[in-house]
Amino acid sequence: MATGTDQVVGLGLVAVSLIIFTYYTAWVILLPFIDSQHVIHKYFLPRAYAVAIPLAAGLMLLLFVGLFITYVMLKNQKVTKKVQ
Amino acid sequence: MTKLAQWLWGLALLGSTWAALTTGALGLELPSSCREVLWPLPAYLLVSAGCYALGTVGYRVATFHDCEDAARELQSQIQEARADLARRGMRF
Repeated sequence: MATGTDQVVGLGLVAVSLIIFTYYTAWVILLPFIDSQHVIHKYFLPRAYAVAIPLAAGLMLLLFVGLFITYVMLKNQKVTKKVQ
Repeated sequence: MTKLAQWLWGLALLGSTWAALTTGALGLELPSSCREVLWPLPAYLLVSAGCYALGTVGYRVATFHDCEDAARELQSQIQEARADLARRGMRF
């Protein structure tokens, strides 16, 4: 078995993914079948955010990946120029 | 048929079914709660796939079989080799 920080990080990732999955499933799948006067609706944002937030997060991820690739490529170019 | 073609075919099929149902092109009168569940479905499937991937990675990191003795032995061998090469004049 892995030890120390490996275990903590691994189990942390599992916990985070479970939390996100449960909340999102409740939001998208369960909420429409619950009476709109029920108190549980207080804990969830308006439905449009269920698509908007993952979309925004996905775009941010793509942006970050693009910036990282640009940074690495520029650094590589500079190193090559210095060697020349 | 290649795997890519199979995946694209499956995606196209599911995507067109979903589009037909959400836009009401088939003329079906679905109850409003079903429509409410239907339209965010692609986003839901993507998020679930992402959660599954994250959870699997985390689980396999936590249950990976470390070999601590072998790791220690390897580190000491590396130190030995570095010292030996440094003695022979190689600069790191």
